[in-house]
Amino acid sequence: MLEFDGLVKAYGDNRVLDGVGFTVAPGQMFGFCGSNGAGKTTTMRIAMGLARADAGQVRWQGTALTEATRRRIGYMPEERGLYPKMKVVEQLVYFARLHGLGSAEAKAAAEHWTERLGLADKRDQRVEKLSLGNQQRVQLAAALVSRPDVLILDEPFSGLDPVGVDSLADALLEQCHRGVPVVFSSHQLDLVERLCDAVGILARGRIVASGTVSELRAAEAGRQLRVVVPDAPAGWAGAVPGVRVVSEQRGDTVLDLAPGTDDQAVLAAALATGRVTHFAWREPTLVELFRGAVSDRAVAA
Amino acid sequence: MSAFGQVKLVAGREMSTRVRDKGFIVSSVVIVLLVLGLMVFQLVSGSQTSTSTIGVVGGTPQVEQALVRSGETVGVQVEVTELADEAAARQAVDDGDVDAALLGATGDSPQVVVQDSSDDGASAIAESAVGALSVATQLGQQGVDLQPAPAIDFVVLDPEADGDTTAVLVALLGVVVLYGLLILFGQFVAQGVVEEKSSRVVEILLSTMRPWQLLTGKIVGLGLLGLAQLVTIAVIGVVGALALDVVSVPSAVVPTVVSVVAWFVLGYTFYAAVFAVAASLVSRQEDLGSVLTPTTLLLVVGFIVSLQAAQDPGSTLATVTSFVPGLSPLVMPVRMAAGEAAVWEIVAAVLVNLAAIAVVVRIGGRVYSGALLRTSGKTKLREALAAERG
Repeated sequence: MLEFDGLVKAYGDNRVLDGVGFTVAPGQMFGFCGSNGAGKTTTMRIAMGLARADAGQVRWQGTALTEATRRRIGYMPEERGLYPKMKVVEQLVYFARLHGLGSAEAKAAAEHWTERLGLADKRDQRVEKLSLGNQQRVQLAAALVSRPDVLILDEPFSGLDPVGVDSLADALLEQCHRGVPVVFSSHQLDLVERLCDAVGILARGRIVASGTVSELRAAEAGRQLRVVVPDAPAGWAGAVPGVRVVSEQRGDTVLDLAPGTDDQAVLAAALATGRVTHFAWREPTLVELFRGAVSDRAVAA
Repeated sequence: MSAFGQVKLVAGREMSTRVRDKGFIVSSVVIVLLVLGLMVFQLVSGSQTSTSTIGVVGGTPQVEQALVRSGETVGVQVEVTELADEAAARQAVDDGDVDAALLGATGDSPQVVVQDSSDDGASAIAESAVGALSVATQLGQQGVDLQPAPAIDFVVLDPEADGDTTAVLVALLGVVVLYGLLILFGQFVAQGVVEEKSSRVVEILLSTMRPWQLLTGKIVGLGLLGLAQLVTIAVIGVVGALALDVVSVPSAVVPTVVSVVAWFVLGYTFYAAVFAVAASLVSRQEDLGSVLTPTTLLLVVGFIVSLQAAQDPGSTLATVTSFVPGLSPLVMPVRMAAGEAAVWEIVAAVLVNLAAIAVVVRIGGRVYSGALLRTSGKTKLREALAAERG
């Protein structure tokens, strides 16, 4: 387990993190979401030892991270970072060795990952000569080349084209299948929803929602029901107790049910109008969950 | 992996990338060529004996001897050419075959023909030869048998001084090379630090090691390279100088060269640490100049003082500055070469420098750690100290 426990960090009066905590199981893909400036990068930098937490710690397999265990983490910083004048393969070998691989092992790993990420013909080129997309691939290779036990990636998908997104997603899923816990931050919530087993939403220095996407959905109060009744007259559902009509368009109705409302009563009312072509719980997208979570906090604060 | 393992990896990368760097290759070749060129120049200018060709009309062996001997007294090798008559002599001078022509040397009205009056070297030789001949002839007529003057044996009271002068010259040369290498490798260190900052690769590096390991690896790696370059230059210089007979006193050269190399190690460590720390405060190569200037000025001052010290190694300025960290690596080798520095002084200067290095590495290491991850704009020294791994 990778555990982030009660991280607190303040820069002067600005309390960036105020008790951030979540856990990532081995083989789990954890999507780390939050508005700009919410503290995602700071959280990851604390894990990598690049910033010091005022309180709290990050643990891997029960013990706080040390210099040695951090070397087993593959890290991709938000700002990226490669030696512009170094050749791709030399760079990867260097990073692999810094992460503790032997010389031969590092060479083999660099060969493997350049091959795997479609950089085989770019091995002997200087990084500065590569396109931005290819630099991004080298960056990913740098995070993966040491066969890390844990992956922490800050905005790994930003700046990638759809093909690049897919190949990066494949590579990450493969790492998860190896049993590696993967934490990545992203603004692309559709991507997070598609890839991640678990999500944490960070707002104003705290995790305001975390869990699997379905858990988050279940936790969402006031569930929505979409019912399509082509023959129904307008306002057919208004009479059912505990039901609020969110929208209604030629029989396509979205209803907000108060907790404890019987959905079967809604179905009965719908059937009473004639044909029912669609009756299902409407799953809020992660974007909606995110907006809800972030704004709830804003109201509470 | 041990802490030392990371340092070794960093040092290895610094060396392998720098060795293939065009700037480094070019500067190495230029320095070696300069050293070789300087020796060849010394050789040519030192062994240059001017020769003069003088034509003689109606000369005797005595005339020839007199010309050669009077040439010797002024350090000119005289070649004598026999010419048929005055017309031939004028022709030869006109054609430039001879520098001067001497006619009727033993007669009552000797004549010297030269192209123009500016070539008084050859004519002066001819003139003094004629004078000598005339004296000899007149003395001979008076029955005086002229004995050659006895050879003079020169007694040198302070043969060491000769060696000291050579040693000071060698030390001065060494200091020039040392100064160049300190600037060059200090720049390399600074550029490397900023490169890592501006490309943000430093964030990945620091997730695998501590700032001091990065700093140490960088300084050690480039330092070994600089040392290798200096030793190469020294070996080429010493072997070349001895082989070409540029210097005659090897005992004066070798210890001086060794001391220059040793002072390079101390000086480089000091300057590299200061340069690295200064460079860590900025995040763009363009800003590097402003933070490096104070340190570079210190180097320049050290260089100028060392030039002065070569002229007057016993001066107060030289004595005092040879203990100042940053200055002593440039000044002390000169004083040592001049035989002006007592053993205790050398030991004291080394200790002062070591202490300075310890302080710079300790405080500088904190600044470096604090500033390294601040990748926007310029970091103030105070902020960096406060923000260490903030």
